[in-house]
Amino acid sequence: MSIAFVALIILWWALMVYAVLGGADFGAGVWDLFALGRNAEKQHDLINHALGPVWEANHVWLIFLIVGLFSVFPTAFSVLSIALFLPFSIVLIGVVLRGAAFVFRYYAVDTEGFFAHSWSRVFSATSLITPFFLGISAAAVASGQLINSSGIPDATDVSSMTTPFALVIGLMSIVLCATIAAIYLVVEAHDTEKDEHLTASYRLRAIIAGAVTAVLGALGLALSISEAPMLWQGMVARAIPLIVVTMVLGLATAVSLFFNHYRLARILIILETVFMLATWGLSQYPYIVPPRFTIANSANESSVIQALVIGIIVGLVFLLPSLYYLFSVFKLPYPVPGLKRREVEKQQQRRPGQKQESALS
Amino acid sequence: MEDLLAARAQMGTSLAFHIIFSALGVGVPLLLCIAEGLALKTKNPVWMMLTRRWARATAILFAIGAVSGTILSFELGLLWPTYIKFAGAVVGLPFMLEGFAFFLEAIFLGLYLYGWDRLSSRAHWLCSFPIWISGLASSWFIVSVNSWMNTPAGFQVRHGQIVGINPWQAIFNPSTPYETVHMALACYVVSGFAVAAVYAFGMLFRGRRAEYYRKGLLLGMLMALIAIPLQIVSGDFNARFLANYQPAKFAAMEVVYHTQSGAPILVGGLVDTKTDTIRYAIEIPKGLSLLAYWNPDATVKGLDQIPRVNWPDPALVHPSFDGMVSIGFFCLFIAVIFWGLYLLRKRQLPMQRLMLLGVFVAGPLSFIAMELGWMVTEFGRQPWVIYNYLRTADAVTTAPFLNISFFVFSLIYVLLAVALVWLLQKVVHRPLPQVTLSEDGYEVQEPVIEKVGA
Repeated sequence: MSIAFVALIILWWALMVYAVLGGADFGAGVWDLFALGRNAEKQHDLINHALGPVWEANHVWLIFLIVGLFSVFPTAFSVLSIALFLPFSIVLIGVVLRGAAFVFRYYAVDTEGFFAHSWSRVFSATSLITPFFLGISAAAVASGQLINSSGIPDATDVSSMTTPFALVIGLMSIVLCATIAAIYLVVEAHDTEKDEHLTASYRLRAIIAGAVTAVLGALGLALSISEAPMLWQGMVARAIPLIVVTMVLGLATAVSLFFNHYRLARILIILETVFMLATWGLSQYPYIVPPRFTIANSANESSVIQALVIGIIVGLVFLLPSLYYLFSVFKLPYPVPGLKRREVEKQQQRRPGQKQESALS
Repeated sequence: MEDLLAARAQMGTSLAFHIIFSALGVGVPLLLCIAEGLALKTKNPVWMMLTRRWARATAILFAIGAVSGTILSFELGLLWPTYIKFAGAVVGLPFMLEGFAFFLEAIFLGLYLYGWDRLSSRAHWLCSFPIWISGLASSWFIVSVNSWMNTPAGFQVRHGQIVGINPWQAIFNPSTPYETVHMALACYVVSGFAVAAVYAFGMLFRGRRAEYYRKGLLLGMLMALIAIPLQIVSGDFNARFLANYQPAKFAAMEVVYHTQSGAPILVGGLVDTKTDTIRYAIEIPKGLSLLAYWNPDATVKGLDQIPRVNWPDPALVHPSFDGMVSIGFFCLFIAVIFWGLYLLRKRQLPMQRLMLLGVFVAGPLSFIAMELGWMVTEFGRQPWVIYNYLRTADAVTTAPFLNISFFVFSLIYVLLAVALVWLLQKVVHRPLPQVTLSEDGYEVQEPVIEKVGA
């Protein structure tokens, strides 16, 4: 196994983490758009509390991906930078306005004023646009038609991004993000806010969004036969078991939501996303940008990649415990050092495994 | 606008915008750490009030820093694909390590800003250490990349291919020790003066005199006082380094057209690039030779030794350099007078209007100095993006619409800046948090109407 392949696996793993963490942040923005009526303020609060402490850390995975890609596969990255100039410029604008809009509205002194309200709308709109164009870009790469056989990228050639396949994958990205977010918010509403009404409403949304994701996913799969033949052939050859697992996980998520096992549903949707991305990765192996750039012909010198991998491992030694601590303090029910006494007591009250009723009371 | 110019304008705007927030992201967390430490040690609630208020501002500033940094990481590829193919191969590692450092900063900032009610006071304070340490580390790594662009090392070019890459040699290239220290100190200088300027403003124009304002001013000025003399020494080291390693940049900074022994320092003046002369400059005879080589008769290499196509533009580099240096000395002057008065008057904070006005002016000026310094190093490297290896003109993307892209991103920066200023002035005008000390530590309430300590 080449060191470039190891690095690629790390990058793919980072993409999965970004999808389940950053993706949920996009999804929360989508739900923010639908937060209307008398419950609106409660929902804004729920989303603010859910995102506040973690969105910046979640967002860094994207930067990690960009940096990793240009360090490990510099040639492929520079080609992608040109070929995806348009969608990525839009993604960038989306990411930037979204992050800014979130803090602007979070820290607005008057949460009902024009300032907070306008930025709230920006936050939602960019939460739709960004995953859509990320999905389109991914589909364009996967279709194998982004770069023509000459290998010279052309930023004005958007034909591979406007196919029905690309549009379906773009839409699916939005809905997938919304599904992930809805399930996280169910847990948040149920365990932290203890709000039955919100819990029920997000449970319903999660089930609907999950169903739409499944339909779009199936449609994308069908369209790939004619529009992304390389991807389809790779899938048939190598990834059928993964597709089956992805589908089973999707069903299991819906079932566990239906029977009110929210924490289980959270784990299942994470696994489903991971398997979906793994399917893509495996189907497209050994290409970085099919049909021209493979792992072998676009990787950096192996000694450099080795240094990078060592750097990543050292970085992760610091990063992962810190990240675990962050999520423990704000999201997970397990005891960690450094909490206030009354927080520890609160935590003990809502430890999972206890009866739902006592947690709600 | 021509594509190359549009791309450079967009990149320049992005850097000029981002550098403000990244500098504050390095400096302010250290102030937070000190202020909260003092709050825990002295049990004086005023320190806690300061900490709380700065934390609120930091949350907003850091978020804008994070998104503007994202713009840059994308733009490296979107605007300069050929550059990133080269740089990614050689200095990917420091980019990656910068990413990790930033990651840690974001994680602990999340804990710090949103964890007031969840973390014990000691754990909360401990969370401030990784923030300023990784902030400093990330500035070090990213500036090491810029250093590499100025003095590339750790690779060879054979038949147009980059081979024999040694990422550690690339990180520790000749410029690294000079540039990284200069930038880190700049972060502390601007953060110190920025904080001090806010309280000087309150005292000058709002008539504030309370302990809250005095302590805020004091801590800001303390950081500034420690950082600014070191910064001037570091600047001197940088200039002498450049004289040997990037003679073109050095010649442009000091407008040395002709190689000469006993070269003078030229202060100010108008550079005429048509006739290659400078007019109306104040001349300090033999000053440059003395400063650069400790020898009044040393020979200083002029632009005439360098092919004209490789010249940076002295009309841009020289005024930027002069501006930076003069502001640097002005800031040093303010800091020294301030602390001189403080010690002379038996630890009484100097409150003279003129003194406060000086501090207030030094705040924004120090940011201008930082921007100018950045322009010296960037304009001074032109026409190269990777010195002596890759021209900026050869690195730009083939993508179209760069004009529109520049226009759109400029609009975004204007929008962000306006919203940010509006929001920050709201934060400043918010009544101070009410802080009380109990057995459990500090209890803080954000009051709605009442003003405390004002």
